[in-house]
Amino acid sequence: MSNVKEKLLKDLAESVVDMEEDDTIEIANDFIESGYDAYEGISNGLAAGMDEAGKLYEEEEYYIPELLMCSDAMYAGMDVLKPHLKYDETEEKYKAVVGVVEGDTHDIGKNLFKIMLETTGFEVYDLGRDVPPGEFINKAKELGAKLIGLSTLMTTTMDNMEIVVNLLKEEGMRDDVVVMVGGGPISQSFADKIGADGYAPEASRAARLAKDLVRGKMNVAV
Amino acid sequence: MSLFKDEMTPMERAVAFSKGEDVDRIQCNPNLSNGIARVLGCKISEFNHSARTLADAVIATHRRFGGDGAKVFTDLFIIAEAMGAKMKYPEDETVDLLEPAIKDISEISKLEPIDPYKDARLPIHIEAMKYVQDEIGEEVPCTALVVGPFTSAFFLIGVETMTKMMIKDPESVHRLCEISLENCIRFADATIKQGIGISIAEPMSSCTVVSPKHFREFSKPYLKRFVDFIKSKGSGTSIHICGKTDGIWEDVVDISVGALSIDNIASLKNCTETVGDRIKIMGNVDPSSIMYAGTKEDVRKATLQCVKDGYKSPKGYGIMSGCGLPVETPIENIDAMLDTAREIGWPITDEKLEELMSFNRYE
Ligand code: B12
Repeated sequence: MSNVKEKLLKDLAESVVDMEEDDTIEIANDFIESGYDAYEGISNGLAAGMDEAGKLYEEEEYYIPELLMCSDAMYAGMDVLKPHLKYDETEEKYKAVVGVVEGDTHDIGKNLFKIMLETTGFEVYDLGRDVPPGEFINKAKELGAKLIGLSTLMTTTMDNMEIVVNLLKEEGMRDDVVVMVGGGPISQSFADKIGADGYAPEASRAARLAKDLVRGKMNVAV
Repeated sequence: MSLFKDEMTPMERAVAFSKGEDVDRIQCNPNLSNGIARVLGCKISEFNHSARTLADAVIATHRRFGGDGAKVFTDLFIIAEAMGAKMKYPEDETVDLLEPAIKDISEISKLEPIDPYKDARLPIHIEAMKYVQDEIGEEVPCTALVVGPFTSAFFLIGVETMTKMMIKDPESVHRLCEISLENCIRFADATIKQGIGISIAEPMSSCTVVSPKHFREFSKPYLKRFVDFIKSKGSGTSIHICGKTDGIWEDVVDISVGALSIDNIASLKNCTETVGDRIKIMGNVDPSSIMYAGTKEDVRKATLQCVKDGYKSPKGYGIMSGCGLPVETPIENIDAMLDTAREIGWPITDEKLEELMSFNRYE
């Protein structure tokens, strides 16, 4: 019995890695019809596949087009599984706000970060690119977001990340949200310098870190 | 202000180089983008409606730094815009793509051939090219930056859509690139008629974005035809590709452009050793951490290091930054780059470079 489940989870993951959207949908349907838990299908099937795709990207086996196709397959599978999630599991979702800071329009990396955040269970609001600092604050306030993810690929716009961190302080919100920064010119030392909570050089690692950081913060807060 | 003086004009230098004669110094092209507005003291948005201002900024930049090329360029989107893409025009920042010309491949028939003398900002660019060529064309090789067919295609349908189509619907990518090529050619033709050369930019061809396999399938064939067209008109050309490119250097040689300019994340040494016997290489001082954020001495050392890695390249080497300079790059740093080329002088030897590396000129 559990062998069948393991096999389906493996197939789900593989269909994502192989960019076979139609297969993903079919297997996800099988998975539900067999009475298995939708949450497991998402985290141990779809997300596991996306994680593997992320690794292939790091190894230069996959490039951006392949990665985006994997994510399409993953989302198609999610659409099948999501309606079957039990209530308390959906409620647990943390909200996140992501965007590319003002002055920068490179958004490929931010989109990947968003995808990986969703696979680790965040509900993500995407502000897009070239986003003025105040918008991050307003959106986070409105949604009660626990995470703000800031992305940039240009040295010239890095300083806008610090502005967002400072605005959060002014608004008295700094202790309520985790701030993560990333993108080409960003480093751990830059993140430390501007007082961000986290940095990761690559999206799937970044998403895992996001979850740890938000959980850590929640535990402290309780 | 610069510390050293040139003895030849960039044009005299270019001609001497091509004949293998002695020159006063190695070629150096700092590769400003919209920073030319800072040099002239105008707003970037003035380039959107005044050919005279755009030309004045290019000319002022040439006079200020004496780099080995004068380039008419504002942003990557002028061809896509002429084909219907929507732009965002900030008052004093670079123009950005707001909406692609079409949202779905089913709308492909909406893409009409451009008229470079009429559509969107193209006539402004063409007119600016004329002023630039008339006024400084004898002193310095002048070019227009033209975005290549593959990258332009991304801006016609949107970056993400095009990216996925390479896997889902390769046939449509070819159709789009074909249309894109045709319009690149129309613009290039008008450009060449103004008497100036062409610098191609192909950022989306980068291995940071697409695999070498996809480059060979979707970009290379159109690029080759584009370069063949330019050459058939008797004009020279060079290409810049951002990001990682080591996987496609051999392909760029096949296309047989005049020169290849590489990003700072690619290895200049490796590049000159691999393909330097078949193509002139330019690069690759880091535009952000060195040119924008570094000191004058950082610029000097990084420039010396590039020359050390590149100067023996059999088909020639020129100093350049790894990509267009950020708008607010300090003017003194650009001076320092050119001055380092002058300081090295001619001929160049390992000993001379070692000696120059061993001390600081600034601070
Ligand atoms: C593709 C590209 C473009 C495309 C962008 C298309 C798009 N929709 O995004 C186009 C052609 C339009 C473009 C335009 C320009 N570009 Co460009 N571009 C690139 C290129 C080749 C690749 C960038 C990329 O997509 N990488 C792949 C992604 C997946 O990587 P990534 O973003 O780093 O993301 C990963 C991680 O960082 C992380 N991550 C990302 N975000 C976040 C956020 C958080 C919170 C976390 C934790 C992690 C995380 O996860 C991702 C996946 O693992 C780079 C070259 C290079 N050396 O990188 C230049 C580069 C970024 N561009 C550059 C420049 C200068 C420009 C232009 C100004 C050029 C010009 N003169 O017109 C314009 C920008 C205009 C503007 N104001 O924004 C420079 C920036 C220099 C600098 N450091 O300041 C670069 C570095 C080239 C260079 N060597 O100089 N560009």
